[in-house]
Amino acid sequence: MTNASEVLSSIQSAFPAAVSDGKVESDDRLWVTVDSKKIRDVCKYMTDKLGFDHYAGSAGVDWIARNEMEVVEIMASYGIHNVVAMLKVKTPRDNPSVPSLVDMYWNANWYERETWEMFGINFEGHPELYPLLLSDPLVGVWPWRKDFKGYPDLTTGERAVQITTPEGYTEYRFPPTPAEIEAGTVVTERPKYPTFREREEAHIKSDSEMIMHLGPQHAMVPGPFLLDILVEGERVKKAFLDLGYIHKGIEKIMENRSWLQGITYTDRMCYVAALSNNECYCGAVERLLGLEVPLRAQYIRVILEELSRIQSHLIGTGEFLTLIAGVGFAPWQYMIMDREKIISLIESVTGARLTHSFVRFGGVRNDLPEGFDEQCRKVFPYMKSRIEEFIELFAQDPIYHARMENIGSISPETAKRIGCAGRVLRAAGVPYDMRIEDPILVYPELDFKVVTGTRGDSADRIDCTLREMLESIHIIEQCLDKIPSGPIKTEAKIPKKIPAGEAYYRVEDPRGEMGMYVISDGGDKPYRVKVRGPFYATFQTLTPLLEGVYIADAVAIAGSMDGCPSESDR
Amino acid sequence: MDGIIDTITQFAAQEPAIFALIIGIIGAAVLSAVVNVGAMLVIWADRKVMSDFCNRFGPNRVGGRWGILQLGADAIKLFTKEDVIPAGVDKGVYVWAPIIASAGTMLVAAAIPFGALHIGGKNYPLVVANMDISAFYVEAALSIMSIAVFMAGYSSNNKYSILGAFRGIARMIAYEVPMGVCVISVAVMAHSLNLVEIVESQTVWYAFAQPLGFVIFMIALVTDLGRVPFDQSEAEEEIICGYSTEYSGIRWGLLYFQEYNNFLLGSILVSLLFLGGWHGPIIPIPLLDMVSPMIWLLMKVIIVIWFIILIRAALFRLRIDQVTDLGWKWMLPLSILNLGWAVIVGSYFA
Repeated sequence: MTNASEVLSSIQSAFPAAVSDGKVESDDRLWVTVDSKKIRDVCKYMTDKLGFDHYAGSAGVDWIARNEMEVVEIMASYGIHNVVAMLKVKTPRDNPSVPSLVDMYWNANWYERETWEMFGINFEGHPELYPLLLSDPLVGVWPWRKDFKGYPDLTTGERAVQITTPEGYTEYRFPPTPAEIEAGTVVTERPKYPTFREREEAHIKSDSEMIMHLGPQHAMVPGPFLLDILVEGERVKKAFLDLGYIHKGIEKIMENRSWLQGITYTDRMCYVAALSNNECYCGAVERLLGLEVPLRAQYIRVILEELSRIQSHLIGTGEFLTLIAGVGFAPWQYMIMDREKIISLIESVTGARLTHSFVRFGGVRNDLPEGFDEQCRKVFPYMKSRIEEFIELFAQDPIYHARMENIGSISPETAKRIGCAGRVLRAAGVPYDMRIEDPILVYPELDFKVVTGTRGDSADRIDCTLREMLESIHIIEQCLDKIPSGPIKTEAKIPKKIPAGEAYYRVEDPRGEMGMYVISDGGDKPYRVKVRGPFYATFQTLTPLLEGVYIADAVAIAGSMDGCPSESDR
Repeated sequence: MDGIIDTITQFAAQEPAIFALIIGIIGAAVLSAVVNVGAMLVIWADRKVMSDFCNRFGPNRVGGRWGILQLGADAIKLFTKEDVIPAGVDKGVYVWAPIIASAGTMLVAAAIPFGALHIGGKNYPLVVANMDISAFYVEAALSIMSIAVFMAGYSSNNKYSILGAFRGIARMIAYEVPMGVCVISVAVMAHSLNLVEIVESQTVWYAFAQPLGFVIFMIALVTDLGRVPFDQSEAEEEIICGYSTEYSGIRWGLLYFQEYNNFLLGSILVSLLFLGGWHGPIIPIPLLDMVSPMIWLLMKVIIVIWFIILIRAALFRLRIDQVTDLGWKWMLPLSILNLGWAVIVGSYFA
């Protein structure tokens, strides 16, 4: 088994001139600064020789005091070892530019686009450096830089100027006032790039093709995102995806709130999996503080996160069923009803149905209520029989098989290459689960297996989801047996100011691998929080999957991903 | 009483054309009232039974806990809504599509016997136009709805609409043929294309005499009605509302209503062709014995309607290419096989 210090010494011996500031936090975390000219070589070396075949994302950091910017490439591995390497690439603050990794890692595309539009860091060699999350008027103000002064208040609409576009649509523009230009709060020079519409229409080759919207306002989308498909008859020839319709800038907001207040924001990223998000943020801060969580609190966290996984899977599957069967499909309602039982269990502990803000640094907010154990044990046999019934229902349905089998299938190699996460990956047969790979809390003491599929198609994804719920119930039952009595919060006092440092923490969200990269500069607020969302990673793979399928399949594929645009936009 | 009947008979003898016209107008009025009220009840049943399957309440505010007046409220709302004709639509076609849909439904209703009155040991069928080829006529007139669907989709100047219209047409072509063959199989056994005679000749229900034909006809009918698993032309999750995306207010209401009119008429047609129509033991109670054939027919129709609603709650939607595949590669050969069976059995018992 490779560990972090071995990886570091291997890189240092291979590239003695290019790497510096190597730092090993534990057996599975390492930070290293890499010369920007050599970053591509280092990445290639790590992928080929050291088994870092999982490009897990990148984060931009604006070090205004040092007058430089940083791009942190997060490298991990699909099961070969569990080391996560953070490669920092430094670049001067005026005219920042780093080499792009898109041609090496397909999924670097979105991460680099996001870093570009938020920080203005240019990625040399990126083929399509267009905005992803931001709307066009905001591109060029580089909003996540530390010296961003804020955009003029557009909420009142008093300054709006009505413009009729050449196509005959009415649009509203907000011309900057002279005072604002003087103060430098608005950008007069913007990057030039083709608009989304122009990029789409460049693909239309003949009169028989047309572009159809499946979102942001469409019965198919689980939340607002734009999915345009270029169709010829019933065939989808190409798909275009645009995010940012529910972009809340949570990472930036958290930089301006105290450490504790940040927990509430993580709730809002994905409200059906709020507990995993809480856990991810709190876990990262606990790493910074070096806190040990009491055993009882660990068990409570595991119980609640697994309950949260069950309810998230139930609503995800239920919503998906309506996509291929119509809203009248009865099992969807039954799933919602069953989910209600789980929700009430969670509610009895946290007091909230969706946004719990329950996990705290070094513990949990409150203890399990009286009789929680009996309540769980009453619900679980029913849930098990119900889930088994659902599995059987789909297994015997010929229409379900005709619609779902071999639709949107991904091979294990492709799934690894394009950086999928969660059950999309597991359905393809890759047993990659954060609970095994990067065990946190009491997961190492629990007995459960990673559910995998064989074909990687939509049917497998749903099957994996359903069987994962059975595993979750199994985990909770063990926890209820084993849970010790004791304190639910750490004895240590949590300081207002967290010591300077950085941490990367991974949890298994219902949608897959979720990571948070938290940097502290010793202040009472996070210096930077980067969320590596699981659906963001999976979402990126949607467009290539949709090429060449029928329109109805496009809906089935997109639905089987169990999307949460709220989390991918953040 | 006798005097009135005498006057009417005299008038009919003197002016046969005018008499036929008056009878026709009265018949049309009664017919549209019966069919439309029936379709309203079907819509109510659809929503209420569906909600039962899904463990919901369904309509439960207007008209007591059964929500029986919900449709009245909906109709008032639709009638009072602003009539929007979107810019860019082909106005003439757009406006006429719902009207043609209604006309097509009424054409179907004209030839369908809604039951029979049992008077003096004889059944008197209740049918407006008792024509000799009514079975075939009804089957043909049912497809007028598809033309209206295509008009609505084509004129709407909307991508979802045109796809919905294309899907509707593709489905209709694939399923009208096996459906027609099934009707012919029934006619072969009954030695008649007249619906009344088909019913009267069913000593054994044709559902038992030719089970294959019954199954194919049911599937083709559900397809014709555009209900799950064959609702591709208005698949909400794919193409919003299909052909009726651009319609609103009472124009949308008319289009929507015709689907349920067809639902009701189609269910009656199945009962007539395959389930023995109004056959059943005569209830030996005065007055009730007169309407007992209608009671039997009504019960059969309700069971068919309930079954089709159940399908919607239980099945997934097929993809359009699978639908056409199923139609051409399975339904059509099987229906022809069934025709062969009907010919053999029919000529043996003739």
